[in-house]
Amino acid sequence: MTGTAAANYPEILTTRIFDAPPALVWAAWTEPEKIVRWWGPEGFTTTIHEMDFREGGKWEFTMHGPDGTDYANHKIFVEISHLQRLVLLHDGPPRHSMTITFEPHGPGTKLTMRHLFEDRSAYDLAVIGHGAVEGALQHLANLDAFLAAPG
Amino acid sequence: MDALSSTLSALADPTRRAILARLALGETSVTALAEPFQMSLPAVSKHLKVLERAGLIARGREAQWRPCRLDAAPLRDLAIWLEAYRKFWDASLDRLDDYLTQLQPKGAKK
Repeated sequence: MTGTAAANYPEILTTRIFDAPPALVWAAWTEPEKIVRWWGPEGFTTTIHEMDFREGGKWEFTMHGPDGTDYANHKIFVEISHLQRLVLLHDGPPRHSMTITFEPHGPGTKLTMRHLFEDRSAYDLAVIGHGAVEGALQHLANLDAFLAAPG
Repeated sequence: MDALSSTLSALADPTRRAILARLALGETSVTALAEPFQMSLPAVSKHLKVLERAGLIARGREAQWRPCRLDAAPLRDLAIWLEAYRKFWDASLDRLDDYLTQLQPKGAKK
């Protein structure tokens, strides 16, 4: 973790250790027939319409929720560093980017996902928010002090 | 701009967040709002306009005393979205974990 969570850009950080080598985890993230096997919560299915897997390439897919709701997704591959790093731009709403890094971790893989929002407030609310508006409002008053504190 | 992005961008400024925090305590006049910020009334009005456009505050119609009050609905929407987003990734990574286990030839694991 860089720890320099960006003076200007907020982020949500997610880390997972997988009991599989980086090449396999990378494949699961970058090969369409593998992606559809796990993308989305239980009960969701995914239809990939277009996946132009190169930097600047478009990725369009629809997620089908268990209740029949369809969720259209438009992403762009910003950076592809083979077996190491993948940067995706989620084209709204709200716009954010996802940086996924793949690092060897013993025999397994450490996956780090960094979601960067275009402004700080999404981070504020992500840190605050568990869906409770009252809580969010209470915390609003202390936000700046909170953000200035070491992470 | 979509509603979520507009909420986010309105909240990006610390002064505007402080204004909302103040309004969370109850409705108040623009003059009273301006006091703690050492800011001119026009500067405060500018921030209020941004918040109003984002639907985060509502302003009374009384000509002289136009009290501002918080409208928490956009904040709730954003908080709900973030919670859903977090759940989405937690659940997806759980499934990825299971899938990776399936992909590995038996005996490859220690």
